[in-house]
Amino acid sequence: MQLIAKLGILADAAKYDASCASSGAPKRSSRGREGLGATDGMGICHSYTPDGRCVSLLKVLLTNFCLYDCQYCVNRRSSNVPRARFSPEEVVRLTLDFYRRNCISGLFLSSGIIRSADYTMEQLIEVARLLREEHEFRGYIHLKTIPDADPLLIEQAGRLADRLSVNVELPTDASLKRLAPEKHAHTIRQAMGTIQQGQLAVAGEPRAPRFTPAGQSTQVIVGADDTDDRTLLGNAESLYQGYGLKRVYYSAFSPIPDSPNSVPLAAPPLLREHRLYQADFLMRGYGYKAGELLSQAGNLDLDIDPKLAWALANREVFPLDVNRAEPALLARIPGIGLRSVQRLVALRRERRIRYDDLIQLRCVLDKARPFIVTSDYRPAQAELRSGLLRARLREPQAPVQMGLWG
Amino acid sequence: MIALDCDNHFALWREQARTLLSHGIDPAQVSWAQGPIDDLLAVPRPLPEGRGPFQAKVPAALLSQLEQAGRYHGEQRWNLLYEVLWRVAHGDRTAMLAGDRLGSELHRRIKQVSREAHHLHAFVRFVPLPALLAEQLQLDLVAYHEPAHDILESASSHFADRLGRQRWLIATDRDAVRFDGQTLDYRRQCPEQWRQWAQHAEDPGAELWRTYYRHTFNPARLNPDALRLHMPGRFWRHLPEGMLIPQLMGQARQGKQRDGQALEVAQQAGKRIAKARD
Repeated sequence: MQLIAKLGILADAAKYDASCASSGAPKRSSRGREGLGATDGMGICHSYTPDGRCVSLLKVLLTNFCLYDCQYCVNRRSSNVPRARFSPEEVVRLTLDFYRRNCISGLFLSSGIIRSADYTMEQLIEVARLLREEHEFRGYIHLKTIPDADPLLIEQAGRLADRLSVNVELPTDASLKRLAPEKHAHTIRQAMGTIQQGQLAVAGEPRAPRFTPAGQSTQVIVGADDTDDRTLLGNAESLYQGYGLKRVYYSAFSPIPDSPNSVPLAAPPLLREHRLYQADFLMRGYGYKAGELLSQAGNLDLDIDPKLAWALANREVFPLDVNRAEPALLARIPGIGLRSVQRLVALRRERRIRYDDLIQLRCVLDKARPFIVTSDYRPAQAELRSGLLRARLREPQAPVQMGLWG
Repeated sequence: MIALDCDNHFALWREQARTLLSHGIDPAQVSWAQGPIDDLLAVPRPLPEGRGPFQAKVPAALLSQLEQAGRYHGEQRWNLLYEVLWRVAHGDRTAMLAGDRLGSELHRRIKQVSREAHHLHAFVRFVPLPALLAEQLQLDLVAYHEPAHDILESASSHFADRLGRQRWLIATDRDAVRFDGQTLDYRRQCPEQWRQWAQHAEDPGAELWRTYYRHTFNPARLNPDALRLHMPGRFWRHLPEGMLIPQLMGQARQGKQRDGQALEVAQQAGKRIAKARD
């Protein structure tokens, strides 16, 4: 099979993995040296496809032959898809060619399970080794980790890659048992633990060889089973705390061709996915706890964002005086982001903050207005009940796409 | 009215601004021309000679902010900078903060400029030259790009970090930069020959990249607005994948949205795998 035909099949097979980030790698440069590639911590999105997602890395599978039969996966062994397999040299050739053209900042390589977990992992490592050692490639490398692979192999991968990831896919044991019978929650956690150990072993030792400097991440599928957002966020929080994960990615379940009856054949829940990313960002960047964002079982509201939802549920905290409130509290005002908080703090050192200043800072005042006090403004709606306020602030819901899904 | 021209050189503007400031000349009395027609009714006065008595002190951070904002193409490009400088020099530091009306515009420009540098790093597409031509031109890679602001000079060394000893050229509709593996050669006016090489390089190898682009797209998640937001339409025509965008959107709308698989894969024969023996 020609390289271009393989590329088509193996890129198509890899698109369901949400992550394409190339950020967080240490500073590396090839200036005046043999080889190719640089990283500086900032990711670059080299293109966007019409699904609005960023293309930062060459995201392919080494092969989509797979012994597992995960129901949600287009590459499961019972799926009737065309199959292909790259040689490690072919992946290297594609990576270097696309990199030279400035189409990508690196490689995200994953694979179906062939022969055994160890054999598959060895193949992935061989690609990274060829790139790093034979071709002196200094761009970004993200390797998917096969959970059941030997910890020694995972350690080897961690020294070559900027990021490793082990996908949770389904966060409850019951769902894994039902939809991914060959996967086990405990081996997934074990692999995450192995990666974390590797990171801890070199932490604080600048001379030690690097180990996954851009951290580890994972992905969960949203909407393939009936797991609710509270479980997803609680799970994410425990992964951030327990294994020092950099990111949890949420992937709205995309219907697959030849779909088994065990998973929905329906439009991907994109808005739900979006709300989960917002909530996840509030946990990582703003210090919200999962339990604050969803205090009971169920899903996040779709019609308002989770920060606004928290503010409406905690009216006793507001209105906040932007001339006095602590920065951490300012950041909890809907419509005022972390950047605006920094700028407000800088400005209030110079003078009192007026309502107009918030306009200049491009804060989202429609959202912020009921929750703030400035030197010349006090909200008339301060007494307004949350229910009414919510009705006013909810986002108009796009009509559900009929036609294809009718 | 003092009419000035700094030839869009920050260093020259800075010298002029310093002189004006030292003579206490109000921003309303100065105009930097951006074309032949400016204020027709103004009676031109020359720039005063030598330094005047006023000694301005401004924070060092302001200078780099002004330099960055000076790369912005737009109305009042240099006048705005002098107004900010004037206010800060006279003790009003809010003029350089985003909360102020003028400072807000300053920061908007800085943001646009750094966004445009990011666009350069993201959307430049190099075409590898065939070995014979590469030897002849002493160039391995060429690219053509049209940035909206003057960011090429300050932002292009990024590619020297990425591409090691490769020799490359980026031509634009105004300026150009060439790297011979060791040093950068920046030209305010792009030599016509460089532009020809960059715009007319043949690229049979681009089909691999287009194949990847077609297949990494998930039609079930169609969201053209997000694409346009992050990758403005003005870049599409210089991207090898640009021509695919309308076509892929059309296919998705006409039924391909039902699942995530690309048409070309759906049309191929599939293969189920027998369960492994335990």
